[in-house]
Amino acid sequence: MRQLINALIKYKNTLLYLGLLILSTIILSNRSFYHKSTFSKGALAISSNFNLIGTNITKYMDLVNQNKKLIAENEKLKALELMHQNNIEYENRVYEGFGYEVKLARIIKNSYQLARNYLIIDKGAKDGVALEMGVISSDGIIGIVNQVTDDFSSVLSILHRDLKINAGFKKNGAYGSLVWEGNHPKKMKLNDISSLNTVSIGDTIITAGMSNYFPYGIPIGVVTNIKKPELEGYLNIDVELFSNLTQKKFVYFIDNIKIDQLKALKNE
Amino acid sequence: MSRYNIVLILQFILLLFVQAFLLSNINFFGFINPNLYLLFFLMYRFDGDRTALIILGFLMGLFLDLLTQGSGGHTIASLTIAYLRPYIIRFSFGVNYDVPMGMIRGSLINQRITYFLQIILIHHLLLFVVVYFSFDNIFTIIKNTFLSTFFTIILVYISLGFFKEKK
Repeated sequence: MRQLINALIKYKNTLLYLGLLILSTIILSNRSFYHKSTFSKGALAISSNFNLIGTNITKYMDLVNQNKKLIAENEKLKALELMHQNNIEYENRVYEGFGYEVKLARIIKNSYQLARNYLIIDKGAKDGVALEMGVISSDGIIGIVNQVTDDFSSVLSILHRDLKINAGFKKNGAYGSLVWEGNHPKKMKLNDISSLNTVSIGDTIITAGMSNYFPYGIPIGVVTNIKKPELEGYLNIDVELFSNLTQKKFVYFIDNIKIDQLKALKNE
Repeated sequence: MSRYNIVLILQFILLLFVQAFLLSNINFFGFINPNLYLLFFLMYRFDGDRTALIILGFLMGLFLDLLTQGSGGHTIASLTIAYLRPYIIRFSFGVNYDVPMGMIRGSLINQRITYFLQIILIHHLLLFVVVYFSFDNIFTIIKNTFLSTFFTIILVYISLGFFKEKK
């Protein structure tokens, strides 16, 4: 305490000067509008910079919550998008009216260089994943769930030689089955399209909606090449996928709510 | 209250009023006003109380600003000069300056000029920086500083004659 008082006495002139300087600055800013605005401009710049740092930190801390919100919104929008493609009128009860439920999952293992490729996603039976659910991404289809544990599930990639996806043309509805021949992770073949149909290069291929896995209308790719048979028969169509399966991080799995009814019908 | 203090107060009031009502209205060439009131800081005893000088400097600038409707440039400039004065004295006259009664007698002419120039120049620079307070006007600030310093120093030299007489 005594040292503090000593220091105060020692620096009394400087302290007095600084105090009076502050006082005169206040007088200055009160007497002159120009100085006032200049001071407040400077103060604003300083305070806004500090605030920016603070906001950035809080923003960063809040990223987890933001992500959750975005995921929820994405799920809703994806459902809306699919519903729109199915030409179902908008209802407030999106999921029930639409028949498909969409949930987000993260890919934790992905392969595309084998002949039969699998993915593993971080959602399992606890999160509502079941066998034979369709898995899509933001710009195309990914595959079909074939194994489920409590927390994880394995997905048959569409880059799998034994998997056939029901797909068709957007413009006229001609449909066939989409298979991967095992060469290039963006190129697939569309078989079983009758040569009666008029198709051309550049046509869009979408899911045809006749399987239980995918709803109608998810864009898959474009036609790049067509080989016509010499006689009547089936066209040989090359398709280039929209989505690049070698760099996916998030996927949506689609729960077909009414699959039981479909299965019951098929069994009869 | 000693005779010295009465003289000091009279000086203060005289210089304040001369400056506020006469010299600040000269507008030589339209913008040059010599600031003779700096004589107060120049003449203040070297061994006088520094704290008192800081307060007097603040009051001098404040009254001047109030009387001339200034924004506050004189307050900051004269306050600062009152605070810096001991350092300037040490710089001009050396560390062991030994002229307690003022710098009129017993000091070399070049030391005296250095002392005047520093006080007046720093004061004017601060004054105009505060008055203009913008980087865009840096040339105006420099021009006003040098011209006003020049006229102030001439006036200060002339006025010093009167103070000598009193002595």
